[in-house]
Amino acid sequence: MRFRRKLLLVFALTVFVCVAAVAWITSALARRAFEKADEQRTAALVAQFRREFDRRGEDVGRRVEAVAQGEAATRMALSLSHGPPDYAAYLDAAKILAESQQLDFLEFVEGDGTILSSAQWPARFGYKESFPVTTAPGVSFLHQEPLPDSTALSLIAVRRVAAGDSPLYVMGGRKLDKDFFASLEPPAGMKALFYQNLGPSFTPQFLITPTGAAQHWELLAPIVQQVQQRGNETTSLIHWSSSAADDEVIDAIPLAGADRQVLGILLVANSRRAYVELEQQIRSAAIASAAAGVVLAILLSGWIASRVTRPVEQLAHAAREIAAGHWNSKVNITSTDELGDLARSFDGMTRELLEQRERLVQTERVAAWRELARRLAHELKNPLFPLQLTVENLVRARQGSPQQFDEIFREGSSTLLAEIANLKAIVSRFSEFSKMPQPRFQPVQLNELVQDSVRLFQSQLSAPGRPPIACRLEVDRGLQPIAVDPELLHRALSNLILNAIEAMPKGGTLTLRTRHEGDRVVLEVSDTGSGLKPEERERLFSPYFTTKQHGTGLGLAIVQSVVSDHGGRITVRSNAGEGTTFAIELPRNGDQLQRAEAAQTTSGS
Amino acid sequence: MLAAATAATRPHYAGTLHVQMASTVGSLDPADDAQRDTLAARNLFALIFDTLVALNDRGQPRPALAISWQAESGNQRWQFVLRPGVTFSDGTAMTPEVVAASLRRANPGWKVTARETSVIIQLDLPSFDLPGELALPQNSIVALPAGKVLGTGPFVVSQWDPGKKLVMAARDDYWGARPFLDSVEIEMGKNFREQTISYELGQSQVIEIPADQVHHANEARQVRASEPIELVALLFAREAQSPEEIKQRQILALSIDRDLLNRVVLQGGGEPAGGMLPDWLSGYAFLFPVKSDLTRAQQLRAQVPQAPLWNLGYDGSDPLERVLAERIVLNASDAGLRLQLAITNLADVRLVRLRLASLDAPVALSELGRSMGLPAPRFLGNSIDDLYHAENAMVQSQRVIPLLHLRTAWAVSKSVRDWEDSRDGAWRLPDVWLAPGKP
Repeated sequence: MRFRRKLLLVFALTVFVCVAAVAWITSALARRAFEKADEQRTAALVAQFRREFDRRGEDVGRRVEAVAQGEAATRMALSLSHGPPDYAAYLDAAKILAESQQLDFLEFVEGDGTILSSAQWPARFGYKESFPVTTAPGVSFLHQEPLPDSTALSLIAVRRVAAGDSPLYVMGGRKLDKDFFASLEPPAGMKALFYQNLGPSFTPQFLITPTGAAQHWELLAPIVQQVQQRGNETTSLIHWSSSAADDEVIDAIPLAGADRQVLGILLVANSRRAYVELEQQIRSAAIASAAAGVVLAILLSGWIASRVTRPVEQLAHAAREIAAGHWNSKVNITSTDELGDLARSFDGMTRELLEQRERLVQTERVAAWRELARRLAHELKNPLFPLQLTVENLVRARQGSPQQFDEIFREGSSTLLAEIANLKAIVSRFSEFSKMPQPRFQPVQLNELVQDSVRLFQSQLSAPGRPPIACRLEVDRGLQPIAVDPELLHRALSNLILNAIEAMPKGGTLTLRTRHEGDRVVLEVSDTGSGLKPEERERLFSPYFTTKQHGTGLGLAIVQSVVSDHGGRITVRSNAGEGTTFAIELPRNGDQLQRAEAAQTTSGS
Repeated sequence: MLAAATAATRPHYAGTLHVQMASTVGSLDPADDAQRDTLAARNLFALIFDTLVALNDRGQPRPALAISWQAESGNQRWQFVLRPGVTFSDGTAMTPEVVAASLRRANPGWKVTARETSVIIQLDLPSFDLPGELALPQNSIVALPAGKVLGTGPFVVSQWDPGKKLVMAARDDYWGARPFLDSVEIEMGKNFREQTISYELGQSQVIEIPADQVHHANEARQVRASEPIELVALLFAREAQSPEEIKQRQILALSIDRDLLNRVVLQGGGEPAGGMLPDWLSGYAFLFPVKSDLTRAQQLRAQVPQAPLWNLGYDGSDPLERVLAERIVLNASDAGLRLQLAITNLADVRLVRLRLASLDAPVALSELGRSMGLPAPRFLGNSIDDLYHAENAMVQSQRVIPLLHLRTAWAVSKSVRDWEDSRDGAWRLPDVWLAPGKP
């Protein structure tokens, strides 16, 4: 990953993390504040409910007390003292009194629990009241009132009629219905619901809800059941719809009757709409800030990156230039920071390298001249010694008989001519090396060139008096023409074939292979000779290095020069005793090929 | 002063009788099957229409539009000689053809032919009580000119708001002499409270007293009550499907305390009933047990492994029925049966109130059976034994559990004179007159 991208990533990540952290902290603080406000509002509503509950209870108590102290109740109590009750006389009594006192429920109950008269269930006379009236508390309480076809939750008060010998109780109350809760005025965003716990499982019909509110009340089932099972206050979040703004936090507060059984559950719902909207605003602001931050990060990172990476890129460019051999490349950085120091160091390093290279070249040049001189001395010394001996023989023979002189002269002159020819050949080879021409590219079928070269050495391969050398061609028939100078390449290949023949004095196999590797063509020449030592391999392509008794050491140097001029390279694989393989890799030189083909076409036309 | 006293005691022709009642009548066609057979309907029909035969208080037939009759062919062919000079309210004469057409309309199964001054009724089976049957309101003689339903009764309809109000004017040409009243104005669908207020304010002279209010009303008003004439019963929707179900029905019948229902819920406004017909009508009703036997009911309940929940249907608009139904549910619960109140006609068992249609006991029993959808009782003869066996078979079928017989009562203002009490609660308004002065 490039430095510019890294920098951008770091900047963007930093901005994002910071914004996210701020948004999260703000949201958390807002949530905590809302939760605290919700708790306070819930507590206030519950307190309001309890006040209303107590007020209604007192009202019910007063009305029941009025009935108990009334004439009808007194007469009823007195008549009980005189014998068994006449139910017919009291059938409508409770109903009439209930209507007059605006009570939903009213019953006259004997001390043993027998119902004398019931307003809500007139047919129940003579039956026993399930609630033990004698142990009823003095204040109003929640009560589950059985009705002919249902059960209703009510706020009940019980009073004893203070007349007669037989105890008579008045049990009256009001139904907890919508009207009861209509007086509750919850603040905006809140509502109060009341669940009448009249059955073991959740039943939506038992829920007293605010007018006009139609929701999926069955979602309240889990929280109601939780309160039914545990009997203590519970809080839960209800998702009324897919929109989080419709969510409500429900506080479920159990309300028990006189026997501590949970008869009702007050459900206080706090809307999370305000919180969700605030959270959405925070999130929107965070997203906007993050987006702006990222844009800023891009700009900032771009600016910083341009300040930081441009010198680095200049350095990299300069390094590539130097690697390409342009030793005069310099880094133009004028800053005084670390990058400036680095650039100046780089320039200093380049200058030092250039000076060292110059010194190395001079050293190598001197070494080459010394090697040349050594080789020349060595090459020239060999023919000079016979020349000296021949001349000395001739001088000595001049002192002898003319016949002997003539004979020695003939022998000497032929020797002199041979050695002089040898000297000329040596000089000629050195001259050739110094005059290596630039290649003239033309399209060449490498396989044909190989076959032509081998054909020239056919006589040497099977020369009489020496062990035969087998020649094997493994050519790639699919090779396309390449652009090379055929004469130079022929000379190089001939050198390699000649070396291979000379490396196999005891005979062997000469193998020539051609193949293509991608856009390059490979030519290999292998022998089965004694191979090369590692130190020989290292110096093999150095000019004037030879492993032969009478070699000039220029053959492989010429080969390398030719291959290099064609843009290729030569490598050698060899181990002692296992033969040697020279591999020449040549590019197809597509552009040269096109030019050569164009030139041929032009000359042809 | 003497003149004033004479005017107060001697009938005179004048005035409008104002009547209020809770019942409603939706049709003034006696043959309309959709019209429920109520006392109110019967009384209204009797003011507008006449029947060939009327019944006296002992249930014996007496001449009305027919002055005589005779049975032939073993009570299978009956001839009724028509009263001459009778006209319908539009002035047209009552002819045998019109009478025959009216009877055929009400009884499609009858073969009715008109003769010169009589009609012949040919029945598929012999009938001992055809005169009594002809006294039923649905057999009123009507004329149907241009879609109108006209009668030969003492009054003619002058204003009709179905189910709410009916105003009738006296007919001067009524064959049985013109009524003393000029008109009768009847308001229907009024609850007892509204009726009471109207009565106390003198806006109405006759109001309907519910059975459970008879006792209280009697203390303050002039109440004219009939004999127990209305049957309250539990009617099962279908025949019992198994011996266990028969037992359950027996358990239910045994568990209900009819005496308490009558004494407390009805305030003594009726009689406990074990049979279909009241004792005053049949004379043998005491043979049907009415006492509850909870112990026996619980013993029978122990023999029934599972008792299904029954829906007990009742008329939700009738507060008396509701209390009765609630009490029955409680009584049944004591015996281990589960009943659930339901305001629907599709209940397993319904609380029904049925008016005895006739003072003729066999006719009343037959009509009760027909109203309940029970098989027609089989009378082997016209003796009281035959009547008892037919009624007992009906009770033993376990389709119906008789509970109570209720009285019908009316509070009648003191200004209403010559109000004649009838055993079946029927009005005799043609003889009624109003004392002069403010009602």
